[in-house]
Amino acid sequence: MKITFPHAGNMYVPIKVLLETIGICYVMPPLCNKRTLEYGSTHSPEFICLPFKIILGDFIHGIQNGADTVLFCGGLGQCRLGYYGDLQTEILKSVGHNVKFICIDLTFMTVKEIVEKIKPLTEGKSLGKIIKAIACAIWTVFRVDKLYRLASYTRCREVVKGYTDNTMKEFHTRVQNAKGYKAIIKEINRAMRTLKTLKIDKKAKPLKVAIVGEFYVALEPSANLDVEKKLGNMGVEVHNTLSVSHWIMEHFIKRNLPVKSKNTPHEAGKEYMRTDDIGGHGLETVGNAVLCGRSGYDGIIHLYPFTCMPEIIAQCTFNEIQNKYGIPIITLILDEMSGEAGYMTRVEAFIDILERKRETSKPVMDKKCGMNV
Amino acid sequence: MLTSVATASKVVYNKGCCISENLPVIGLPKGLFYYEHSILWESFFKILGFPVITSEDTNKEILDNGIIHCSNETCLPVKVFHGHVYSLKDKTDYIFIPRYTSIDKNEYTCPKFCGLPDMALLNLKNKIKVLEVKLHIDKDTGLTFESLKEIARILGVNYQDTIEAFQTAIELFHEKKQEISRVNCYNQVRDLKKRAVSVLGHPYVIYDSYLSMKLIKKLKEKDIDVYTPLNLDHKTKRHNAYPYQGKAFWEVGFENLGSAFTYAQDKNMNGIIYLSPFACGVDAFIIEFIERQFKDRYKVPFLKLTIDEHTGEAGFDTRVEAFLDMIG
Ligand code: SF4
Ligand code: SF4
Repeated sequence: MKITFPHAGNMYVPIKVLLETIGICYVMPPLCNKRTLEYGSTHSPEFICLPFKIILGDFIHGIQNGADTVLFCGGLGQCRLGYYGDLQTEILKSVGHNVKFICIDLTFMTVKEIVEKIKPLTEGKSLGKIIKAIACAIWTVFRVDKLYRLASYTRCREVVKGYTDNTMKEFHTRVQNAKGYKAIIKEINRAMRTLKTLKIDKKAKPLKVAIVGEFYVALEPSANLDVEKKLGNMGVEVHNTLSVSHWIMEHFIKRNLPVKSKNTPHEAGKEYMRTDDIGGHGLETVGNAVLCGRSGYDGIIHLYPFTCMPEIIAQCTFNEIQNKYGIPIITLILDEMSGEAGYMTRVEAFIDILERKRETSKPVMDKKCGMNV
Repeated sequence: MLTSVATASKVVYNKGCCISENLPVIGLPKGLFYYEHSILWESFFKILGFPVITSEDTNKEILDNGIIHCSNETCLPVKVFHGHVYSLKDKTDYIFIPRYTSIDKNEYTCPKFCGLPDMALLNLKNKIKVLEVKLHIDKDTGLTFESLKEIARILGVNYQDTIEAFQTAIELFHEKKQEISRVNCYNQVRDLKKRAVSVLGHPYVIYDSYLSMKLIKKLKEKDIDVYTPLNLDHKTKRHNAYPYQGKAFWEVGFENLGSAFTYAQDKNMNGIIYLSPFACGVDAFIIEFIERQFKDRYKVPFLKLTIDEHTGEAGFDTRVEAFLDMIG
């Protein structure tokens, strides 16, 4: 049995740790590949959301390279993500791939649920080992996200342009070749060390921009035209409010803890949405926008895939948020045809506005940004 | 049925809960939820003793106002809904917009229904006052009662009476629903002299004569028998809703998948038309399942018609004509 899994930003690193620690054979689809999207879109319905198409492309790649099982997530609820698996199974069947789906239910994720779901893969492996692997994977999530945050800190401040990108590129190559938890953590630490020794302009006061929106496209550079990196290289500090570690904290760790705590963006989002859930990450988007508005960011970039239902709802609140908190918001809607040039011109124009705005209202910037991830 | 509304509301009146002369007027927008649940909410407010005004049938003005007040990406039915809300703005004191999340066990609604009251408030710049009832049957019916309490507070009526009114309204709704399905019950196309076509899609599209360009009426005028998801009973649809039998899915998905695969099995069904609003996230899924199954398994001719605010009636009719010619 050989499994494959879809990409979502840096998520492959912890998944690698999980599979390698248990000792499961797998195929990893290539990172950020144009072909993936082409494969995916030719077999997908036209108006399905972009993540569906890229993820399907990942599966097809994995299957063509010998995988017979797919590791994915499912769950109920309003949004399409939970139903992805059913339609993808159907599509794969029709192009002659009979694969098994293992869907981890994200709505009620617990350690027990994961152990049970991956049981077919872990025949003969001890429970202790599996639980250890899950723990290692989760720790890796936090480490990688930390590395990403460091990179977005140095990218906009580095003295010699391109160093951060090179370090990260090298990190991705090396981590793909590294095997096992120890080796992978070593690579993460190594990249961190390199970034920490980079020469940066300590006095720089870059514009601070937050990314909010749909989880997948905010994380996956091949879906969002690598906007995070591009902004960084324009000298803008980017805070991505979406991250796997944050997600795990909210949906896995907090849920498995005996004391219930509140989801901060959700609570903030209720200023405009008087409900607990509008599907997907809609409520988080609203909440994060409010939180960023309150804590001295210069602007917000809202990313979502074309036809994404929860984000269309979230978008309704932006007029109010912009007026109330005086924070400019730009919405970028992504699909497989998003022409890069057009998008970047819009982003550049947006950054210009932010710069001009800052010049006219200087003192605001001394406030420290209070957002934590 | 009407008599029971009358008696029920008289009971409430006699309890003396609505004494004021100028009662607030409640507006019901004729869009989205209205097509399935109008009876429920209309009787609910009437039993409580409040005057109810329903917006007009969709027309150009309503559509145009909806377009102005929504973002471009919003789907057509939600835009139209905003137009209805807008048209009620000056005629009513409160506009009723329910918040549906799941309307049965395992049956969810499109995310846009969960955010509808907030969306309307924000898009109309808080110029309206909204009353909402939450329905999240799959998770927690307590939410519904909480929101009923809120309504009771806002309207200044007794909470117990509100609950009673709600329960009576639900009973009426079920009675009426059974009546409709008794009258329209399909089990097989029998009249072989006439052609039979089934029209599928969201109720707020196929029964809205403006959005659907009077499709059902036009078919009937051509002496064609028309079947919709309404003609099938709940159980049959759930039973045939491949591949979601027994699983969680969208309610409208169950309705349309179930109907499509039930009608497709009928040898005397001449064709199936699916009317879908442009860029509907839910239909993208449903139609894909239908098309794939039809290709592999059933021989029935299938036409998918996509509508948006620019769809012209002439072009629409031509496509329907061509389809009818093809099925003979
Ligand atoms: S949240 Fe948006 S992108 Fe994600 S499944 Fe739902 S519609 Fe698709
Ligand atoms: S189901 Fe489709 S048409 Fe209906 S509200 Fe949702 S996206 Fe719009």
